[in-house]
Amino acid sequence: MSATVGAHYISEKISKVRWLPEKLTQSERFVTGTWDMENNFVRVWRLHVNPYAENVEHTPRCNDKVAIEGDVTGLEFVNDDIFAVGCSDGRLSLFNVHRAVEEDQIRRIAHSERLHEFKCSHANAPCTAINVYGTDVATVGEDGRLNVMNANNLNQVKRTIDADSMSLLTVSYVNQHQVVTANRMGVIRMFDVRTAGDGQPKISFMAACQDTKSSNFVSAMITHPMQQHILICGSEEGSITVWDLRHLNYPASYLSAHSSPITDIGFHRQDPSKLFTAAEAGEVWMWSEKKQLIDASQNDSSSAWLSGDRLRAMVNVDGVLTNIRKAINSFDVHGSRMVCGSDTEAVYIVNDV
Amino acid sequence: MSEDTVPNFELGDALATRCGNTLTARFVPGGSKIALSAYRPVKWSTRDVPSETAAEDPVLIYMAQEATLYGEPLLRSLLAETNATFATLQTLSQGPKGDAKKTIEYIKISRTYRSIVRCCLEKLEHAKKLPEVQENDAKQQQHTDAILTFYAIECLWHLFEILYMQQQHNQLIVPQLLEWTRFHYPNTEDTATDLLLMAEEASECDSYWDTLKTLIMLGQLDVTRAILSQHRKFNQAAFQTAEQVLKSMPVYQDGYAMQKFCSQWEYWHVDLERKLAAHMFATEPQLELLMQLVSGSNEHWDAALLKSQDWYEFLPGYLLFTRPACKPFELRIAASNWVNRWSGLRPNWEMTQMSRMVLQLMEHDVKLFIYDMQKLNDSHWFATHLIDLIYHSGQLKSYFEQQHVDLPALRYSMVFEYGSYLMTSHNLWQLGIDYLDCCKQEGVAAIEQLLPRIPLKSERQAFKIIAMAKERGLVNVEQDICKVLSKRAYSDQRYGSALEWAVRSKDVLLVTAIADFILKHYSSTGVILCPDVITSIGARMFVSPRLVFLSKYFEFYEFYRQRDFLSGAELLINLLASKITPDYFWPSLLIDALPLLESEDPKIFCKETIAILQHLEMELVPLIERNKLNTAKFNNQTSKTVFSDYRVENVEEILDLMRLACARNLSRAMIIENTAPTT
Repeated sequence: MSATVGAHYISEKISKVRWLPEKLTQSERFVTGTWDMENNFVRVWRLHVNPYAENVEHTPRCNDKVAIEGDVTGLEFVNDDIFAVGCSDGRLSLFNVHRAVEEDQIRRIAHSERLHEFKCSHANAPCTAINVYGTDVATVGEDGRLNVMNANNLNQVKRTIDADSMSLLTVSYVNQHQVVTANRMGVIRMFDVRTAGDGQPKISFMAACQDTKSSNFVSAMITHPMQQHILICGSEEGSITVWDLRHLNYPASYLSAHSSPITDIGFHRQDPSKLFTAAEAGEVWMWSEKKQLIDASQNDSSSAWLSGDRLRAMVNVDGVLTNIRKAINSFDVHGSRMVCGSDTEAVYIVNDV
Repeated sequence: MSEDTVPNFELGDALATRCGNTLTARFVPGGSKIALSAYRPVKWSTRDVPSETAAEDPVLIYMAQEATLYGEPLLRSLLAETNATFATLQTLSQGPKGDAKKTIEYIKISRTYRSIVRCCLEKLEHAKKLPEVQENDAKQQQHTDAILTFYAIECLWHLFEILYMQQQHNQLIVPQLLEWTRFHYPNTEDTATDLLLMAEEASECDSYWDTLKTLIMLGQLDVTRAILSQHRKFNQAAFQTAEQVLKSMPVYQDGYAMQKFCSQWEYWHVDLERKLAAHMFATEPQLELLMQLVSGSNEHWDAALLKSQDWYEFLPGYLLFTRPACKPFELRIAASNWVNRWSGLRPNWEMTQMSRMVLQLMEHDVKLFIYDMQKLNDSHWFATHLIDLIYHSGQLKSYFEQQHVDLPALRYSMVFEYGSYLMTSHNLWQLGIDYLDCCKQEGVAAIEQLLPRIPLKSERQAFKIIAMAKERGLVNVEQDICKVLSKRAYSDQRYGSALEWAVRSKDVLLVTAIADFILKHYSSTGVILCPDVITSIGARMFVSPRLVFLSKYFEFYEFYRQRDFLSGAELLINLLASKITPDYFWPSLLIDALPLLESEDPKIFCKETIAILQHLEMELVPLIERNKLNTAKFNNQTSKTVFSDYRVENVEEILDLMRLACARNLSRAMIIENTAPTT
């Protein structure tokens, strides 16, 4: 691969990183959230052309920062300027980015009530993940609760579902009404956010695991951007399980991939034939579908990801980042550029992905 | 840079004053804190009576913590980045040994370390100018301290690299030392640049000759020549001669015969002295002074030295004009002579730690240098990384052997201490663990001790710690963390979470305890806690027989609820026969059989009915007897009975009901089973 990687040490453990959405141009700005620091911050960064070194094109520079109460556990854009941040104090915030010529600014524009709490001790339960569909935001927490609200009004929670009796690790929208959550045992449940807690259809399935006697949590999930019935899950043992949400009797594919827990999983923002996975051991891999192998006569409903054992032969695996040695917690790809946030207290900017 | 001062502690509270201001202190385990409190000396001869100060003043305990630079966020990046370089060095040294290429690699590593420090210094300088730091005195002081310390570190590391890491064939060090001073005294170069930009007007500038003098003393001949050539009178003979002299100064080039170079240089030097003696520069007194300096005239150097900031500033320049072929071992003598000369010029001079360390390096006193290095206020960052590098590069091996320094042990203890320090402070545990990883068994033991002590703020963090433990095969740590989280969840009444953490911990007792709790809760209220977890526990249930029982019983419960009585009955019989039923659950289990036995259409076969009856008589009846005995023994105290549920009072009645139900079902089943099917 011809990708060039620039590592930039920024003195903070990064838990989430996202490019600012840009419609027509390559994004030059990204936001980061930190975790496990004395003071946690949400920052906006901007890439500047690096006049010195030959092989590092850009250096990021922090334009603005806002302190936040706890670890940042989720960060997603709702629209071009507004992003939602889930925090380990169990609350959700909305931030606004103001793009400027000189210094971009970020500002907190809304802060929700406590969304997650432990019932008995009434202590804050960390929010563990968030997901966004349109202007709807779903949050899950260690209290096993799923909250759905609209970004325009954080004070009114549209639906609260006690989804699980243990902590949920990740959440993903399938479509506007259906949400999947995954818990620490690897049980994935699907909920309809239109109906209240009791009337829920009980749909649950379990991530595959090599050793059925050991625990295997699902730490990251994503639905295919074009074919939303394809759900891809990354798990503690480092494997990837693919589900066809129309046939839940058995997983559509199972791939053993990393050797450490998968921390993040995501498709390329513009090119859905590329999937990326990041792992605790400091690896980011790219899975790209081999174009020539997809039969043109096949209809849309089939996908390489659903092809079971043949999947191995239908995707290429490339290491985008390897040997970082510490967890890559989050990444985002926009255009030809990827940004990764890591526990090494560095952001990695990969060009020409 | 701090001087050799020992920190003083004084308590000064009422109690301490009463005791004559004596104090005691001890290290708080697992951190860099010291707990201090007032203390009255007690000896063998002290009488064993309440002390006169008893109950008069409260005993106050003070916590003292080592001041550290790393509270400053900018320095975290230094730690993180050097951590990566450290790891690279460890993998590098695992390759084949004795490779010539490796020396170059080690120098590269050394340069990487230095460039990290430089980069960090730059960031600090930049941050110091920000308004938020300018307004805050404490923060500004912190920045200044950090800059001073790391500036010194970089300077010393650079010198160390020149003197001990590089292996040239010719072993000439003067050019590199010049480079070193140029790096660390950049002020003159800045003014020189200004002068160059001013072109002809420069010669009118007040600082013109002073700058040139300093440039000469720093050995920067090219810049000097460039500035001189812009002088208005450059065309005059004196300037031309000076230019000629500076231009023709022999510079050693690789591959040149040393003898030849020396004789050439000697010739040039004599020539210059002759020119000075002939007063060829007499028309320009300032220029003549410059040339005197170039010729190494002691008297002129002494005069100029009075202005220098530190003793080593002009040493390389002086060597350039007096002993350009100086070898590392000759530097030792040159340096000590030079220090004597320099201190002779200023009688009140006291050597700072920095100056002393530079001298130690030049005098080849690495042992003392290492000793002093550890006194720096950088939590041993410098000492650890440099010693580690020395150890791997193997350059000074014979030196340490001569000095009876056990280098591997030294490196080992430095790395160990530094790693433990990182593990316990400022959320740096992810960095610290890499250092402890290089410390063999002791490192593993330290990791085992320190990992579980990291405060668990969220499950996400817990998973990261567990992953670390797993990677290193520290099963105990993994289990301890799971147990802690399980108990935390249990006391918060999150039983599903507690059960899952317990299963992860693989601790049979804990799993059994939680399963017991759920079963007892069921038998007293009829409510199953966290059904979702029990359903999906799957093959993990084999951790504990009690958990197996719980999941199987739950399965039965589900069949029953879904009115699938036949499968339910089968499962119930299996459960009865399984021998994993806990004592307290026997009544519940048998009572569950009652509706099945009494139902309209028969569900339990003859053989199974006998089995139930057998269990009833063999298990439940003795249990009741034992229970009675216990209650009697404790004389009707509210002692703990095995039947803690609501059915305990009328257990006898239930027993009779059960017997009856069994008899009825048995008769019915026998009739049905022994009747030939009607055709």
